[in-house]
Parts: sequence; structure tokens; C-alpha cells
Amino acid sequence: MATVNIQNIQKNYGAVKVIHGIDIDIADGEFVALVGPSGCGKSTLLRMIAGLEEVTGGAIRIGPREVSHLPARDRDIAMVFQNYALYPHMTVADNMGFALKLKKADPAEIRTKVQRAAGILGLEKLLDRYPRQLSGGQRQRVAMGRAIVRDPQVFLFDEPLSNLDAKLRVQMRGEIKTMHQRIGTTTIYVTHDQVEAMTMADKIVVLHDGHIEQIGAPLELYDRPSNLFVAGFIGSPAMNFIDGRIEEGAFRTKKGLILPLPQGVAAAGGRDLVYGVRPEHIRAATHGIEGRATLVEGTGSEIYAKLDARGEEIACLFRERLDVRFGDTVSIDIDPARIHLFDKQTGLRL
Amino acid sequence: MTRPLITHRTLDRIGLLFVALVMISPVILFFLWMISLSLKYEIDNGAYPPIIIPENIAWSNYVKVFEENNFLLYFWNSVLVTGTATLLALVIGVPAGFGIARLKAEKSAVVIMIARMTPGLSFLIPLFLLFQWTNLIGTLWPQIIIHLVVTVPIVVWIMIGYFETTPKELEEAASIDGATTWQVFRLVALPIAKPGIVVSFILALIFSWNNFVFGIVLANRETRTLPVAVYNMLSFEQVSWGPLAAAALIVTLPVLLLTMFAQKQIVAGLTAGAVKGG
Repeated sequence: MATVNIQNIQKNYGAVKVIHGIDIDIADGEFVALVGPSGCGKSTLLRMIAGLEEVTGGAIRIGPREVSHLPARDRDIAMVFQNYALYPHMTVADNMGFALKLKKADPAEIRTKVQRAAGILGLEKLLDRYPRQLSGGQRQRVAMGRAIVRDPQVFLFDEPLSNLDAKLRVQMRGEIKTMHQRIGTTTIYVTHDQVEAMTMADKIVVLHDGHIEQIGAPLELYDRPSNLFVAGFIGSPAMNFIDGRIEEGAFRTKKGLILPLPQGVAAAGGRDLVYGVRPEHIRAATHGIEGRATLVEGTGSEIYAKLDARGEEIACLFRERLDVRFGDTVSIDIDPARIHLFDKQTGLRL
Repeated sequence: MTRPLITHRTLDRIGLLFVALVMISPVILFFLWMISLSLKYEIDNGAYPPIIIPENIAWSNYVKVFEENNFLLYFWNSVLVTGTATLLALVIGVPAGFGIARLKAEKSAVVIMIARMTPGLSFLIPLFLLFQWTNLIGTLWPQIIIHLVVTVPIVVWIMIGYFETTPKELEEAASIDGATTWQVFRLVALPIAKPGIVVSFILALIFSWNNFVFGIVLANRETRTLPVAVYNMLSFEQVSWGPLAAAALIVTLPVLLLTMFAQKQIVAGLTAGAVKGG
């Protein structure tokens, strides 16, 4: 186990800058998720930490060692790839013991370590099989097993669940988290799925266009997103953004919709703002803002509805069973304590 | 309802069979004609209208091939030249293909291709002189070395294509697991590329086995390979079609058998590799 320290890391492909100087400090044993949309540079960053991609500038330290220019094999890390990257010509046991075999470890020791990792992941009965004889979830587990057997200083995961179906993804999410709690190895996990990041990570790094938008604990990012990008990216369904200004102590849109504000924000008057409210922070009320339902989706546990309130679209997530149908008029209430205000020009939180 | 469907399908199959037959007929007919020639006496071979299946089968043509020539020696020469040239090509070409594919060194691949496309005769004379100076003429080495011009490019080009399609993540996983570049190649890339190696081996073998030009220039009576030996069966006085066809068939047979045997290997290898995520 070790800390990981990333200092002013940059990556250029020719004249194209992909990563513009990133700093991240990862504590020993921490589970950090790198999230962001496609092309934000998260996989490139992970591959630079792994040593699979050259670093253009800056430094990466694993523990006290500077590893920026060391080959991958000398970094003492283990990586789980999106497509698992299991060696097709080796059995599960050989796949898992490959790294130890390269280190010329004693065969008995290799067997013990492989057995132990197989025990953790429930792979004992599959050790003699080949990767092609396994299901997606089993392959994923073997890939994790290969990482565990190494007992590395850092685990790297590159979108490991994106090839699995939805149900298996939830299950494997739990298994990775349990494995981390049990083994406690420092973990860096790349995903584009913010739900994965929210549920698994101790700390989330939100990346966008090669820049860090925000670093923080999952709930911190959810409760206090520092800008419009993070606010829109974290949380599912996504936050509502409504343009307008503060006038006479209330938030007023161009189309004349009036929304409630918390105390003490009136000072932000006079400039264009974005009013953010999460769908789950909107309640049905007997008297309140009225809107016509333009979309209603019920899942049993909740109802997702889109309302048209004076021309502004507001998405709502109701936990209670409401009898709402397409075209109905619904009254809603917004908790002023849970709204977010952003400067429209800079995108920053007020 | 099902009856017309089956008829339709049967018709489709017959049609497909017919098209396939028409397409491969030149190959099949030429082969059948060669077999027919090799089993007929000279009098039948010259007959008009031509006789396809003779009344008396002339096995003596085959006996003659082995009696009148040192055919076994030439066969052994061919085995040595083709075998060594093909194995050397694998030893050189497989790592070269890996390197070119991974470093995306397309230019060097083109250079190798140019060497293959240059007409053999243009470099045969200087090479002949070179082999004379080095006292290699009279041994099989000149032929082995020059056959590399045929075999190496085939192996390199097939292996480039193969390595380019194998997932790079496997090699990255191996390097993270602690493998050096050479270990990555030997323990991961090479075993996965087995079907590609088999294909390039067979193609290199066929091209080298059938090569005629290099042999006719560089070989003497003792170092002759089979294609040259067959050519030498044409004498100035007459063409003995029977023994000639018999000799040609004997030359073709090993390659034919090998291809038939290896075809299964290729298919088996390809399906084994076709697994998502390795």
C-alpha cells in the first residue's frame, strides 16, 4: 500500500494538449474515482500512472518513489482493464499467477497465493478453466484476482464494469467495494458512470477537457458542486438548470416564473444566474409552482416527471405514489435550502 | 407451408454448388488432366480425340521418374532448402512483424515489400558472383539464403496483420505484470499469434517449394531442387508427357497434403482466438 501523488501532470499528443497540469493527492488505502465524460482525459491519466503512456510534464510519485519515467513493470501496480485482458492461452490459475511466475516465485507460494485470491473472489472451482469458458462476470473476477495475487501498492481500474449488463454491474460494484474494504490497497478507479463513482469512492475527481473541475467526497460533490459542470454531471437524474436573475428577493426567469431562494443571496442580484435544483429535491404540494406534465415515467419506487412551468422545463423525482398523467397540472414546492446558484458567465457556484 | 421453403433452399444449394463448381473447374480440370497424363502411355497421350481414362494404366511413368533421375536426392534438397528458408523466415519474420506492428513502422514494411516485388533475375547475377567468391556455390546455402527473399516478406506481412488485430491490452497487462518486452513477446504475443504463424509458415513453404528461377540459376546437378528437376525432364528430342506429369504430381503432393492438413489447424486456431476480451 502507498500514497499516490500527482503533481502538475501534463500530456500532449503532438500539438494537442490532452491533460493540462493536474494535481491529485491520494492517501494510503484511499479509493479514488476519476470521473468525466468521454474524452476528458481520465483514462489517459490512469494510463500515465500505470506507465503505459509517456508523461509530457510533471511528476507521479507512488509512496516516496518518483515513477514518472519508470517502465510499467517497475511501478508495483496492478491494473484491471475494461476488456479484462486475460491471457487467452492460459488457465485462470496461470493468469492469476503470471506476475509471480515472472518474478520467479516458488511454485508452491504461487499456488497458495492464487488459492487465497480465488477464495476471496469465489473462483476456486474455475482455476483450471480457460478465459473463453467463463462468463463476463467471472472474467471480471479473474482480472481482479490477477491484481490481488500481485499484492501491489496500487490498484488501477479502467472502466472495469462497462462490458457487463446492468444487474451484474451492480453486483460487481459491491464486490469491488468489499474487496477494497477487505484488502485496503490504494485504488484508482476510472469510470464515466457517476453512480459507480458515488457508491464506491472515498474521493471523486471530476475531470473535464483535461482539467480538474472538482475534487471531493461523493456527498460534498453532490451537496456543494463548485460549478455548473459538476452540478450537471453528478447526480442522476441530472440537476435542473434554469436561467434568470434575482429581482426583489426572488429568482425570476425571463418567461416570468418565480422560484424560491434561501436567505441572504439577494446580494447576487443584477447579473445573469443559473438556478439549479435536483429533481429529487422537488416535492409535490397542494399550493406552489404549477406545471403541466409533459412526461411521466413510473418505476414503482418513484415517479420521474417533466413539467412545463411557464415555458421552463423542470424535471421532478417524486418518491410518493402520485396519480399524475400526461397533461395533468401538478403543483410543486422547492426547498430553498437545497437549491444551487451559479454565475451564468463563469459557471461558478455563488 | 414448409414444403416450398425446403424446395427453395434445395434450389439455392444446387445453384451455389453449380457456381462453386464453375469457379473451381479450371483448377480441378487441370489437376485431373495431369493425373490422366501421368497414368497414360505416350501413345495414349498423343491420341486424338484425347483419352481421359486409359484402358491400360501406365504406372511405369512413376517408376521412370525415380529410375531415370536422382529424384530422391532432389526431393531431399527441396526439403532442406524450403525447410531451412521457411524456419529462418519464421525466426526473423515473426519478431520483425511484431516490432513493425507495435512501433507502427509501416515504412520498413514497405521496404520489405519492395524487396519482394523486385524481379529475382535483377539481383540473381550479382548474388551468383557473391556466392562464387564466398565458395558457397555447390552447396545448398545460396538457394537457402536467396529463398529468404521469398519467405521473409510473406511471414513479416502476415504477422504484421495478425499482431495488429490482437488486443494491445494483453501486452499492456503483461508489462504491468512485470514482463520485459522480450517476455511480453515470447509469453503473450507469440502464443496468441499461433494461427497467424501457421498461416505464414504454410504460405512461405508453398512459395519456396514451388520456386523455380533461383534454383535454375544457382543449382548444379547435386543441389537441384524438385521444380528444377521436373524442368530437366524436358529433353531436346521429345517431351515425355507421362513421366513429366508424374514428376509434377510428385512435386505437388507434399504441399497439397500439408495444406489439407493445416487447413483444419488454421480454422481451429482462428476460432480459439475469437474470444471477446481475449
